[in-house]
Amino acid sequence: MTASKAEIIREYGPFPGVDKVHGVSFDGERVWFASGDRLNALDPDSGKVERALDVPAHAGTAFDGRHLFQIAEDRIQKIDPRTGAVLSTIPAPGGGGDSGLAWAEGALWVGEYRERKIHQIDPETGKTLRTIESNRFVTGVTWVDGELWHGTWEGEESELRRIDPATGEVLDSLVMPAGEGVSGMESNGKDLFFCGAAGKGTVRAIRRPKRN
Amino acid sequence: MDSLITAAGRALASGDPLGALNRVALREDPPALALRGIAMAQLGDFPRAKLLLRRAARGFGTKEVVARARCVVAEAEIALASRDLGWPPRRLAAAAATLEAHGDRINAAHAHYLDIRRLVLIGRLDAAEQALAAMEPALLPSALQAVHGLATASIALRRLRAGAAQEALATAREAARRGGIPALLAEVEGAFSTLHAPAARLIANGEERSLLLSNVEALQSSPALIVDACRFVVRDLQASVSLATRPVLFALARALAQAWPADASREVLIARAFGSKFTDESHRARLRVEIGRLRAALRPVARFSATRDGFAMVPRHAAEVVVLARPVEEKHAAVLAFLADGESWSSSALALALGASQRNVQRALEELATAGKVQFYGQGRARRWTMPTIPGFATSLLLTAPWRDA
Repeated sequence: MTASKAEIIREYGPFPGVDKVHGVSFDGERVWFASGDRLNALDPDSGKVERALDVPAHAGTAFDGRHLFQIAEDRIQKIDPRTGAVLSTIPAPGGGGDSGLAWAEGALWVGEYRERKIHQIDPETGKTLRTIESNRFVTGVTWVDGELWHGTWEGEESELRRIDPATGEVLDSLVMPAGEGVSGMESNGKDLFFCGAAGKGTVRAIRRPKRN
Repeated sequence: MDSLITAAGRALASGDPLGALNRVALREDPPALALRGIAMAQLGDFPRAKLLLRRAARGFGTKEVVARARCVVAEAEIALASRDLGWPPRRLAAAAATLEAHGDRINAAHAHYLDIRRLVLIGRLDAAEQALAAMEPALLPSALQAVHGLATASIALRRLRAGAAQEALATAREAARRGGIPALLAEVEGAFSTLHAPAARLIANGEERSLLLSNVEALQSSPALIVDACRFVVRDLQASVSLATRPVLFALARALAQAWPADASREVLIARAFGSKFTDESHRARLRVEIGRLRAALRPVARFSATRDGFAMVPRHAAEVVVLARPVEEKHAAVLAFLADGESWSSSALALALGASQRNVQRALEELATAGKVQFYGQGRARRWTMPTIPGFATSLLLTAPWRDA
C-alpha cells in the first residue's frame, strides 16, 4: 500500500442554503451534490450552482449516463436529471445506514457507513450481489478505470482509499489534512476526484495520483 | 454520516422530534442513540434522554472524541433544563475544550452558553457577565445569537436594568426570528412579558402603587431614602446599608419608613419586629436596644427621634422616605422567586442557588406545598418542585445545535 497526502486543487462554495454536502456525482459536465433537501448542479469551471432539483438527498449520489441515483432515508431514488422526477425507488441495502453511492459495470455500489461495508446491488431490484468489507467507516464510493475508491471518515481521520474489489485490501491511500472529512466522492473519469467536505458545505477537487 | 441519521438530524433541526424518532427508533448504533436521546429530551423525557446519550457516548470509538464531546454537551443541557445544577461543570468545560481543539467552534460556543446560563441561575452574575464578554456572537448562528441576547437580558433583569434588558431582548427576538426556532422565540417573548409585569410595589405616604422594572430602575437614581424589601437594603443617593442578615432591624426600618413622615408607635414596632400581639416592659426594653442598634447601623442615611408614642425616622439627605416591596408579600419569597422561572427544581439545587441549607429549603418547600403554592413530583432524591403557574423565564432546549455538524 502507498500512502500520501491528499492534494486539494480547488474548493467550491460555501453555497447559500447548503450547510452540509452528503453525496457527490459527476455527469461529464456538472458536479451534482446532495445537500439534504435538494440536488445541486455545480459547474466545475465557473464554481457556480447552475440549477437544483428539489428531492430529498440525505446521502450518496451516482450517475449512470442517463439517470441520477440518490439515497434518501432508507431508499435509493432513480431521478430524471432534466425534470427532477423520481422514476423509481429501490430499498437501500444498509436499511438507512447507507452513505456513498457509485455506478459501475451495470451495478450500483453502496457504502454502508458504520458497518464498514460496500455492497454491489442490482439497480433494478436492489438485490445485493456481493459485499466488500473495509476496515474503516465508508463514506463516498467511486469507480474509475477499473479502480474502486472509497472515502473514509472515522473519528477525526479521513482518507481517500483505493481498495482491491475482490479482497477489500487497501492499495492506495490519500490522507486528508487533520480534521477535514470526506462526505461523498466521484471521479471525473480522469485526473480528479470531487469530494464533499464533511460538515463544511463545500465541494473539493482532489488530484488523483497517476498510475505507471 | 449515513442517510437516515442525516434525515433524522434534519427532522430534529426543524423541530420535529417525532419525525426524527420514526427514522432511528430501531437503531442501536451510537449516532442513532444520540439522536434518539435528543428527541426524547425535546419531548420532555429527560431521564430517558440522559440514559440514551450516555449509551451513545460510550458507544462511540476512542477516535470519535468530537462525537463524545457533543454527547457530553447535550447531557449538560438536559441537566440544566431539569435544573440539576450539581452536574459537574468541569465535564462541560472539558468537552468545550475538546470541541474547540477540533475546530467545532459552534458547539464549543453552545457549551459556553450552557455554562453561562448555569452561572446566571445560581446567581453568579459577575462570573456570567465575564464569560459573556468573552463570546463573539456575531460569528455564531442566529440561534446562539438569540441565546446570547437572552443571557445578557437575564443578567440585566436581575440587576434591575430595564433599558439594557429591553435592548438585549430586542436583539434576541430578531435573532430568534432569523433562526426560525419557535421554542426560542417563545422564550424571548416570555422574557419580554416580564418587562411589562409588575416587578415591585412602592409604598409612600400611606399609598401603594405597583412598579414595572423600568420604574424600579428609575428609582435607583431617585433622591428619596429607599427601604428596599426586595433586597433588604436601606439606601439613598449617598450611601447604602444592607440589613440582609439582620431581619429584626430591617423589620423596624420598614415599619418606621411606612409610617413616615409620622411616627410609629411602640406597639406597632414591637408587633412588626418581634411578632408579639401584646406588649410588656421587657418588650419595651428590647425595642430600645434594637432601636439603638438600628441608629448605629443606619447612621449614614437616617436618624431616629423618640416621640411620645414611639419613634420617627428622619432621613439625613433625602427629602422623602419610600418602601420598595415585592409585588405580592409572602413567606419564603426567595424560594418562590426561583420557582417562578417555571422549571422544576430539586431542593438541593434550590439550596445551592439560595446559599441556604438544604434542610431549611426543604422545610420552606413543604410549608409552601401545604399552602398549595408549589407542587412536587418524584420521591426521595428524585423529587422535583415546580410552581403551578409559569410566569417568567423558562429555558428551552436548543439541543439541535450540538448536532449541527454531526
